[in-house]
Amino acid sequence: MKASLAERATLFALVTLIVVVYVFPYAFLVSTSLKPPADALAIPPTILPQRISLENYSNIATFPSVRQSFANSLTIALLSTLITISLSVPAAYAVARFASMAGKIFLIAVLITRLIPPVSVGIPLFAIMRSLGLTDTHIGVALAHSTISVPLAIWLLASFMEGIPHELEEAARVDGCSRFGALFRIIIPVAAGGIAVTSVFVFLASWNEFLFALLLSSTSVKTAPIAIAEFRTQYGIQWGTMTSLSVVFSFPVIIFSLLMQKRIVAGMTMGAVKG
Amino acid sequence: MLALTIRFGSVYFKKGRKMKRLSLVVALLVLLSLTATAQDSVTLTILVEQGGFWLQEAAAAQFEEETGHTVEFVNVPYGSVFDRLSAEMATGGGAFDVATIDVVWMSHFAPFAEPLDDLFTDEVVGDLFPSLVADAQIGGAYIGMPTWANTEIIFYRKDLWEDPDEMAAFEAEYGYPLAPPTTWQEFDDMAQFFTRDNDGDGEIDMYGTDVKGGVADFEWMIAVLQAGSPGVVLDAEHNIIIDNEAHVAGLEYYISHHCDMDVAPPNVNEIDWGVAENLFYQSQTAMFRFWGHAYRLTRGDSPIADLVGAAPMVAGPGGVGAIPGPWFNIVPKTSENKELALEFVQYLYDNNSLGIEAPLGLAARKSAYAEYADVEGFENLNPLLETLDSPQTIGRPAVADWQQIADEILGPIGTDALTCEEDPAELLAWGREQLEGMGYE
Repeated sequence: MKASLAERATLFALVTLIVVVYVFPYAFLVSTSLKPPADALAIPPTILPQRISLENYSNIATFPSVRQSFANSLTIALLSTLITISLSVPAAYAVARFASMAGKIFLIAVLITRLIPPVSVGIPLFAIMRSLGLTDTHIGVALAHSTISVPLAIWLLASFMEGIPHELEEAARVDGCSRFGALFRIIIPVAAGGIAVTSVFVFLASWNEFLFALLLSSTSVKTAPIAIAEFRTQYGIQWGTMTSLSVVFSFPVIIFSLLMQKRIVAGMTMGAVKG
Repeated sequence: MLALTIRFGSVYFKKGRKMKRLSLVVALLVLLSLTATAQDSVTLTILVEQGGFWLQEAAAAQFEEETGHTVEFVNVPYGSVFDRLSAEMATGGGAFDVATIDVVWMSHFAPFAEPLDDLFTDEVVGDLFPSLVADAQIGGAYIGMPTWANTEIIFYRKDLWEDPDEMAAFEAEYGYPLAPPTTWQEFDDMAQFFTRDNDGDGEIDMYGTDVKGGVADFEWMIAVLQAGSPGVVLDAEHNIIIDNEAHVAGLEYYISHHCDMDVAPPNVNEIDWGVAENLFYQSQTAMFRFWGHAYRLTRGDSPIADLVGAAPMVAGPGGVGAIPGPWFNIVPKTSENKELALEFVQYLYDNNSLGIEAPLGLAARKSAYAEYADVEGFENLNPLLETLDSPQTIGRPAVADWQQIADEILGPIGTDALTCEEDPAELLAWGREQLEGMGYE
């Protein structure tokens, strides 16, 4: 049935409203980054820059540690994504395929770990990492980030895998495939969209994470969110530099998400339809 | 050296076993000496905020050069200094040999800090501002060595204050010459004099000063000290004095520029330090009270870049007073290089003046400020020196829950008072109740 003009107009207005609500903070961030430093704090504040200046962006080059922090963020986010997906795919597969009571309890237990505020496990995690000699290392921070991401990834992947028909896997088994063979040759390729979606979420969680990275890094693996936060000093916030860095910091994620857009949409659709 | 030794060994290799043995011994000794040198060189890890890095970087480089040790700064955002050190304290970690911390965290970290009593000789105490010596002690022991001290002073527009027409007009109106204000009355007069609607459109184009409602938890405390209070909120024995006469007078004075005189931009709650600084440097206020370091950080693109003057903080009935914002070096008890860390802290004190050349341009020693006070470009140092050395410049109480007091009591009192509808004395009575609820008497 075709929607009426009024319905379409309402829908369009709603979508526009949602987009504005979501886009406005980012647009304001970009706008502030393009203002001369003095205008960033003008009262009353202006949404659009009165004068366009790239000074905040050129200032970035004067902070060499910032470049290193971006590289650290990328390394840690990729490592964390790799660790999380490697652990979550088999776990989600087991939960999806063996719908036992133990599996359900496991899923709930996994969810409970998500309910614990990260700040409350920060210090114990710090103590563990220190005893393992993993503080101020990429792998240490990546592992810490994985503790946040694994529960979410298992839940997401389990729902994707439940949507894959059992018959596909059974056919492979009939043709002589082992269970692991079926997982790697059949399930993972079919669930690739779901894995891509999950990877994006995991990557983003690590890319933006602050607390664990702060506790576990000193000089070698300082991540970009911490480097950006350093512009909040005791006497105020250097809005211009912070916003320009934040815009630059957001580029890799935006590009990554745009590149993965098709897979993400496909993955989300797949997760919504169960066979 | 090692290469030479090996060569030496090979030359004499064929000349008999004795020489061969000798050359091996020499090579071994050289290797041992190299290893020993490597072992003796220690890396000191220092936890700092950006300011701590800037101000101590030069002294640390000199320390490295003189001693052969390495100093590594771990630079974190302001609030994260507290978080990182708290994690170390909670887990007994020894990641940091020295930490440069804000005065408001001293009580919290006192159990974790090595006593530094031996460093505080009479000579050291005599060269530090009295409020810093007081703030360095927790429970009778010195636990932190001041590394720099900042405080609010008066910034004003020299082009206005030195303009003959303005000077004549001011003297005609108020009966005394226009000069940087030294008292509450003078500050009020000048704030009113310079609050102007230049183009006659009914809008104020320049205010005399500002009221920083965004940092109300801190700002009205300054007026309390100027009003003559022996401390802010709590006295030296941590008894409640938040409702004494000086607190009432200070709070009344703090709000008067907004509520009675209209000499400050009306959106007071939006004005924090950053905004206030911007208003002044964009010539929207004629003078303001601000942290002394800002003088050296004046932006070149400001319309008043070369026209900024600095003067000591004004005096109220109790005299010149301000709240110092010092930072201290502490040595965590868990440091694995405690002895060297103490040596480094002493070195930073000895070379305190090196920080003055850094962007913030601050130090802790009177002699360091005095050394630069007459140097061009450091005109803020004499006002800083005078303000910091004033008897009414008193630190905040050294209690572990100070931040909670500031956030939950002082901030709301300041904000409510700035509505101009609340009675300051009643607000302060409410403050007493809250403090009593926290266990103070």
